[in-house]
Amino acid sequence: MLLVILASAVARAQSTPITVLYLNAKSINFYYDRFLLEADGNVRLRTSDGFTVTGDSFSMDLKLNRFLVAGHVTLQDRSGTVSGAAISDFLDFKRIYFVPVTSEPDRWTFLNGDLAHPAMGRVMPGDAFYFPPITTQPDMTGTGAVIGTKTYLRFIGAVAYVAGVGIPLGSNVISFSSNQYLAQNSLSGATADITWQVAGSPNALTALHLRYDPTYKLYGSVEQHFVGDHEYAILSVNPATRAEKWWNAMLYEKLGSRFQIQSFTQYYAQQNYLQLPRAAQQTTWINATYAFPHSYVTATSQLVNYNLLGPGSLEVPKPLGGSLAHPTFLQLTANSFQNKIAKLPLFENIYEGYGFAHDSVGSQYLNGFPGYWPGNGAFAPIPVPGLQAYGALCNVQPSKVYKYYCPVYTTIYNTVLGFNLFTPSLKLNQPESPYQQYYFNASFNKQRQWNSLPHYIDNTNTTLTVSRQFNRALHTYVGYEIQNIGDHYIDGGYEQCTQPHGQPTTFCPDSFTSFRGVATLRTASFGLNDTPTPDFNLSLLVRHHQDYPIPVPGLFAFPENNILGQPLYSWWLGQPPYDATADVRFKILPHTLADISRTLYWYGNPYRAQYWQQNFVIQLLPI
Amino acid sequence: MMPPSTNPSTKFTLSAVEGLRMTTVLALVLAAVLLAAGPSIVVTGQLLAYQDGFVFFTTGDGFRVAPGVVIHDAKTGGPTKLAPAPRMWARATFDATGTVTELDLSRAALPPEGNFDDVTRFAVAASSPAPNPDLLAYQNLATPGPGGGAPTSVSYSGKPVLVTFIVQVPPTTPLTASVYISTDQSAWNAQAIPMDRIDALHYSITRRYPSGTIFHYLYDRGSLQSEEIAQNGLSRAPRNFVVPDADVRTVSDTVSAWQDQVPGSINQQQPQIMPTPYNPAPFPNLPPGLPPPEPPQSHKPPPAR
Repeated sequence: MLLVILASAVARAQSTPITVLYLNAKSINFYYDRFLLEADGNVRLRTSDGFTVTGDSFSMDLKLNRFLVAGHVTLQDRSGTVSGAAISDFLDFKRIYFVPVTSEPDRWTFLNGDLAHPAMGRVMPGDAFYFPPITTQPDMTGTGAVIGTKTYLRFIGAVAYVAGVGIPLGSNVISFSSNQYLAQNSLSGATADITWQVAGSPNALTALHLRYDPTYKLYGSVEQHFVGDHEYAILSVNPATRAEKWWNAMLYEKLGSRFQIQSFTQYYAQQNYLQLPRAAQQTTWINATYAFPHSYVTATSQLVNYNLLGPGSLEVPKPLGGSLAHPTFLQLTANSFQNKIAKLPLFENIYEGYGFAHDSVGSQYLNGFPGYWPGNGAFAPIPVPGLQAYGALCNVQPSKVYKYYCPVYTTIYNTVLGFNLFTPSLKLNQPESPYQQYYFNASFNKQRQWNSLPHYIDNTNTTLTVSRQFNRALHTYVGYEIQNIGDHYIDGGYEQCTQPHGQPTTFCPDSFTSFRGVATLRTASFGLNDTPTPDFNLSLLVRHHQDYPIPVPGLFAFPENNILGQPLYSWWLGQPPYDATADVRFKILPHTLADISRTLYWYGNPYRAQYWQQNFVIQLLPI
Repeated sequence: MMPPSTNPSTKFTLSAVEGLRMTTVLALVLAAVLLAAGPSIVVTGQLLAYQDGFVFFTTGDGFRVAPGVVIHDAKTGGPTKLAPAPRMWARATFDATGTVTELDLSRAALPPEGNFDDVTRFAVAASSPAPNPDLLAYQNLATPGPGGGAPTSVSYSGKPVLVTFIVQVPPTTPLTASVYISTDQSAWNAQAIPMDRIDALHYSITRRYPSGTIFHYLYDRGSLQSEEIAQNGLSRAPRNFVVPDADVRTVSDTVSAWQDQVPGSINQQQPQIMPTPYNPAPFPNLPPGLPPPEPPQSHKPPPAR
């Protein structure tokens, strides 16, 4: 697949009719916020269209895809040399406007690249020789540039300016292609990332990253993009400067108008430089979709190998491989489009799927090897994995506190059936002013997954909201959401949590005594958004959760945060009863927004040990 | 020697012709004097070039420069070290013959003064003006429009336009989800433009863009893995939008599905999903805070299973 993508990208590179401009000048400035390239002094421009221009000044709007050279201009091609005052090339329209100066000035228009036969005296567009006003400092300077029109700009002798401080980069590529595949990213999140795009073309981009995150601290990474119109391949190693290396390959190909396939493969190696790894793991995710006129079918598979080092590798000194498990998933799902039900204000879509999970809850979690348990064997790796426990209790229970479950079923087959129902925004009243209008929305999702274990999992999700816009800037809504997740075992399943001596304990609090694997989460929300100007936004979200089982601080901690410090999941078992989030965004630079968000989690009265927690996030967003 | 003619009629005729000639000459001289003493014309503009005895403005017009042209500083009116060059701004004084006799220079933009329409007739061009079919066919189009060789019938002034994006999201979108617009204007940053929820199914955001901005964009939930997909489950091409010459514009879109929420699928994994000593709990819903699998402290061989 990688070879097909690379071949397609190369073929596109050869067939795409872009113009490449080679620019040299005493100083070349780039303005990121407007994609302007301005140059002055000894300007020399060579184009792949076959002519060369020299002059005093150069100006190019990379988005409009047109350039201007002015002052003591010479235009040279195979047919000869002409002097003039200015030349402007509207590349998209194959029109070159030239002001020659022979005995006296004139106006020539070259049509469709024919420099030998100018149309003389033609009226020119009023802005053919327009210099854009510049009011800011350049973001990057250099002495040479290669411009792939509408795709990329490669600076030579580049100096990037951050807060007014120049950072010499040598070669640096700025991609401004409308091809979104160039932005695909195979790196994990990081607290900070400085990217140096060393080399590039319309179909490729090579980037070096200097990154920081709390796990690996400061490290370097490398990423390579190859893109075509309908395909991409992203290859990376991250971190590249640590013994723990993640090699990533992200591939995508769209074949025709109905089929696409994409994959993500990750290879983890514990190795110094490129020496023989001490541990090596791999996972591959593959997704293929075929579209029908009113539905589509998706096949998804995940293949994991927790140890690629082969037999005996776990026995070498200081082994880190951990497990010989190789979880494998495959799911085939058919989805309908959204359809309106008769003339009702109601839409539906249904889906059904079949699949299996093999070795899915890896044995490395549930029993592992007792000799390698942490704490000199005092603790097994991880006990019950959430709501869904596969198998039965282990024969050997190493702890008197935790219960450990051992996998019995290595392969579990499943059948999924689900549907969505939802309304469009329904008007609740007929006021004179649109700012007095109330809207109602409702959605309902139901899904059941039968497993061969045997047990079945029900998911039901109902959302109701009422919203109103009070003026152009202010929107509000109130919402109520009920999520019900039930894991129903035909035989066995969740054990009753019993309280010794009838007293609640940390490990068996109140509502867990009756918990049998069915959780219900109810959330009431109030949201407010105020956008008085496009450069300022205030939003407020206040929620009240009423969940079963009742959350207990410390028993169910927050989910892991993403790299921005936000919870990875919007809901989870054990949410604090109240939370409030305020978010303010405002413009701090012409091309940058500051986003400050603060969340308070309030546990309420029943759990006096911990009243509240908070989360604080500051982001800088390019706009 | 011939005596002077005494033919009175002949004498009268000669005198009349001479008088007519003299009158004409006098009239021309008078006209020239009047013209020479006429008011000069002053316009400001940005210079395109200054060479070969001509000064060119960014209109593309070239004007003859008087041999002894005076060059001053536009701000002080006194002498200047500035030399006419591209990008520089100038206040040009034209004499009655259309020759530039004075240039007052400035690096900063000068306030508008005069009207270029008054001096266009002085522009020097070797060829006679010829109509431009590219422009005529589209009613004085300033710039050919985007999208290939054929210009569109729309021109853009570049004025700031308030653009409000309103998107209807799938009903499976979590109530707390953050929705963003990813655009080529921000190098496809997945969190470039955060949107605000206005009800269960709608998010909106208002931004200011110059008219004529060509905008390619997609909606996402904060990452490329949660980007919108087409109704048929395939990745969709970016949406296109050209900011019009209006005061306010509203763009309404509908997202059919999110890539990571296709029912029944295994979500596309984020990078670094495998458990290692440094990433011990990559899977969701595992209660954190429990001892992670750690590398053994001793080198005991594993027991037989």
